[in-house]
Amino acid sequence: MDPSMYLLDLVVFIGIFGIMSLSLNLEFGFTGLANFGKVVFFLIGAYSYALLSQAGFPFYLCLIIGALIAAVFGFLISLPALRLRTDYLAIVILTSGEIIRLIVKTEDWIAGGDWGTSVAPAIALPGASAHAGILVNIGLVYVCLFICFTISRLLTNSPYGRVMRAIREDEVAAEALGKDRAKYKAQILMLGSAMAGLAGGLYVQYLHYVLPGMFLPIVTFTVWIMVLLGGPANCWGALLGAALVEVFDRGANLAKDLLTLPTDASNLQYILFGVLILLVLLYRPQGLLKESAVKTRATERVRSLGGAVRNKED
Amino acid sequence: MAETLLRVENVCKHFGGIYAVDGVNMNIREGGIWGLVGPNGSGKSTLFNTILGLQHPNSGGIYFKGQRTNNMAPHQIYDLGVVNGFQIPRLFPSLTVLDNMLVAARGQQGDGFFNSLFLREKWQKQEELLTDEALDILELIELRKHIFSTAGELSGGQRKLLEIARALMAHPTLLLLDEPAAGINPVLGKKVFQKLQDLSCSGMTFFIVEHRLEILFEFASWIYVMDKGKTVAEGNPEDIVKEAAFYQAYLGKE
Repeated sequence: MDPSMYLLDLVVFIGIFGIMSLSLNLEFGFTGLANFGKVVFFLIGAYSYALLSQAGFPFYLCLIIGALIAAVFGFLISLPALRLRTDYLAIVILTSGEIIRLIVKTEDWIAGGDWGTSVAPAIALPGASAHAGILVNIGLVYVCLFICFTISRLLTNSPYGRVMRAIREDEVAAEALGKDRAKYKAQILMLGSAMAGLAGGLYVQYLHYVLPGMFLPIVTFTVWIMVLLGGPANCWGALLGAALVEVFDRGANLAKDLLTLPTDASNLQYILFGVLILLVLLYRPQGLLKESAVKTRATERVRSLGGAVRNKED
Repeated sequence: MAETLLRVENVCKHFGGIYAVDGVNMNIREGGIWGLVGPNGSGKSTLFNTILGLQHPNSGGIYFKGQRTNNMAPHQIYDLGVVNGFQIPRLFPSLTVLDNMLVAARGQQGDGFFNSLFLREKWQKQEELLTDEALDILELIELRKHIFSTAGELSGGQRKLLEIARALMAHPTLLLLDEPAAGINPVLGKKVFQKLQDLSCSGMTFFIVEHRLEILFEFASWIYVMDKGKTVAEGNPEDIVKEAAFYQAYLGKE
């Protein structure tokens, strides 16, 4: 294969998983919602896209409706989130994800069951080179990534973002200060799920097929590694984490061709991921990039004056 | 006579067989500082929690401005104007001191999902004013120079002060404080009470649990004494020190 294609393919994957990572970062990094079922919403977006595009909808509607359906599921998941503590919620989401995957796997009529089904590319260019096709995909994916990134940044650097963090730190105190935590949790899970659904749609239209085997729980954990590695509660960190993990993933696959190992190197990457996550949690628990403070016009004004005020006092 | 703000009517709260609050009646009118004293385990904090909606009473009624609040969620009770300062501060440790203050401010336009994204100009203006207000309060409690420290970096006494300051940002009609002077140096503790008294003159009402009786009795206008889940005495501070029940509750003397 042309090495530049390999590189461009990597860029697409970083974009798609960058969206996933940003969405988990909103849920876990900022709001403390341990969503161990990211893959469910990815799956829902993916299958929605596949079925809608087969029904003849244009690609942008497939992406938007897929994201909305994922958001509805996000809302449903938020209902137990009101009653359950973080760790129990994690178990509920994890298992419900597996249930949904097993349903699409065994119900052949939905989308080909275990064998999956083919998906048309979002923007088909008849007669164009593979290069052009992948560049179009990069354009599409990075427009979506930019939108998600902008929403994340605006939301987290506002009074709303302050409430998200407050709920993460002490939800009872936040509630006693008038914040309806149920509402906030539902909104964030809906937004995060919509973003994951969008990523799922982009993913299957890029790969041209969808099958249940693409949505194993390992996808969830990969996204978790991205967030923990890059730095929870930092939007740039989420992107950095996504890039690093994807590069690492490719590296392990390349190593397979270059090195003669007694085992398959692409399986080794799971072990290496495990080691990586341990090292991060032990030596850099805040991730590579630190949490960024809430930046609003008012706080930045005070911050810029801060030095002067302090000098006067000292 | 000022209007009744908070009415506690025969409230019971039990955990298993233990009656933490056992038929308490109170009538708190608008304005002034109202004190609640009693030995440890007499049910003061549990009573506060039921007023705040953090726990729901098993029986009896709690009314704020005539509205029954028994089964309301804490954020709804906050919306009515009842705010509290926790006995053990429950700050947001990795947020800055300033962010801890701002998160509590009442009526923010930017804490809604769509507003935060699309009405940025509007809430940014409001936040400028709120920030100035926060800085004024922080100045008073000597935390002005720590505004960009995280709350987790503060000392125990400073956390306590920030807890009170944060509650003030919520512009309460009724502010419940659980041992505000505990862990704060006496001079500053008195200064805090002085400030509360100033605020009470402008219409805010305080209901305060405090073991530092010398401070509380100096500022409070009415004292309730609780023992074993019941109110055993009430009156103004001058009279309450003469009450036998007060001594019995606190010192176990006849």
